[in-house]
Amino acid sequence: MRSDRSIASGPLAGVDVRIKLLVSFGYVLTVVATPLGWWWFFAAETSLLLLVFVLARVSFRELVGRWLGFLSLVALMALAVAVSHPLRPEIGLASIWGTILLKNSLAFGALFTLSQITQHHILLHGLGRLGLPKPLVATLQFMYRSVFILRDEFDRMAKARRSRSFGKKSWGDWSSLAGLLGRLFLRSYERSERVHAAMLARGWDGTVRTLDGADSR
Amino acid sequence: MSDDSTTPWAVRVHDLTYHYPDGRAALRGVDLNVAEGECVALVGPNGAGKSTFLLHLNGILPERGRSVTDHHHGIDFGHKTKLHAAIWINGIEVSPANAREVRRRVGLLFQDPDDQLFAATVLEDVAFGPLNLGFSKIDAKRIALESLARVELGDAADRMPHHLSFGERKRACLAGILACSPSILALDEPTANLDPRGRRGFITLMRDLPGTKLIATHDLEMVLELCERTIVLDRGRAVAQGDSRTILGDSALMDQYGLEVPLSLTMRTKIS
Repeated sequence: MRSDRSIASGPLAGVDVRIKLLVSFGYVLTVVATPLGWWWFFAAETSLLLLVFVLARVSFRELVGRWLGFLSLVALMALAVAVSHPLRPEIGLASIWGTILLKNSLAFGALFTLSQITQHHILLHGLGRLGLPKPLVATLQFMYRSVFILRDEFDRMAKARRSRSFGKKSWGDWSSLAGLLGRLFLRSYERSERVHAAMLARGWDGTVRTLDGADSR
Repeated sequence: MSDDSTTPWAVRVHDLTYHYPDGRAALRGVDLNVAEGECVALVGPNGAGKSTFLLHLNGILPERGRSVTDHHHGIDFGHKTKLHAAIWINGIEVSPANAREVRRRVGLLFQDPDDQLFAATVLEDVAFGPLNLGFSKIDAKRIALESLARVELGDAADRMPHHLSFGERKRACLAGILACSPSILALDEPTANLDPRGRRGFITLMRDLPGTKLIATHDLEMVLELCERTIVLDRGRAVAQGDSRTILGDSALMDQYGLEVPLSLTMRTKIS
């Protein structure tokens, strides 16, 4: 998810967020629904995505870095699916595996581009305007804000742990990591109470009111 | 001090007692009054109950829905006793029924800005209070932008809170409470963790703010600059109060309650 400091500045950045969302999800659905073996159609989808990359002026270095990380997760799962696929005898294992990877990569590329050309809060606002329930949008906003606070808190705790481990690596590290995560959970719980108190202090009564959306309880 | 709850005190606290959920006493019969327009410091060692006290001023504590005999306002008679009103804000009793009005009057600044900034953008966060007070979206946005300009963050409206520096986040929090136009500011450690320039800027901001101010802090030099009166809190009790220079210059008192005479006062005494 990109920050407001690093939104790509291409011509697509100014397009209405609802259009961006609908086109992105439409593209993903089309890719997922493309039958195996329709190589010419996959080629067209890939070309279209490459054109969008250029128009959106996405950072190819960042795209490739994240794509490789994504592939490392998907490749094994795709292999497991390909091995048990009913069309394996006809099309072949490599074709099925390659198609699944291609579909996932195209979908990843589309959503990555969407996140590159739209600020996160505008994206959520667009989802709200497209009919996503307001409480869900508000929850996603809270989550996004909290992720950074938790990350900072985790980093501080991890640094403190490393400073007392003197470079020693052992299975004990895993147990201390588990303890660290447990403490992070407790701290998060305590922080949520303080955030709730701060909201009450500014007159919150259970209804989420925002400048750019309808109120929701 | 008058016992009449209708006298024009900005804050009036009578015999405030509170226990944490685990049963530990946090506040024990605190009595204090703050006049309108007065700036009062609340000092004391860690765990003295300063933050807990501030949370009572706009009814965040005691928690609703829990046993009134476990956490309560009022005189500690033991068990199952009738609640006695313990806090009045501008003559209005702090109670669940008056929570909305009390919270409009008392602006509470939390010590950690990450506890206060929860929205996706700074503008949304600052507008949160006005929207809850019933302002239209247009007015809330205008008020939020004005409040951000007051704390010199006018250009940060569309930024995300986690991209602000600590000092900027602190000022964004202050804008959030100023947007509610409170007549009383309750500030919890406003200068904690700020660098010298940030601290100076924040002190200047606080000095320029109108209204009644109650500041819980360990920054005793700031107390000397801003606060006419100081109240010492220790283990949930208000153990001393008076003119800031007199209280903070009393080395025996400071030692007794784990505090330290500010360097500026010590130097002045040595020079004279």
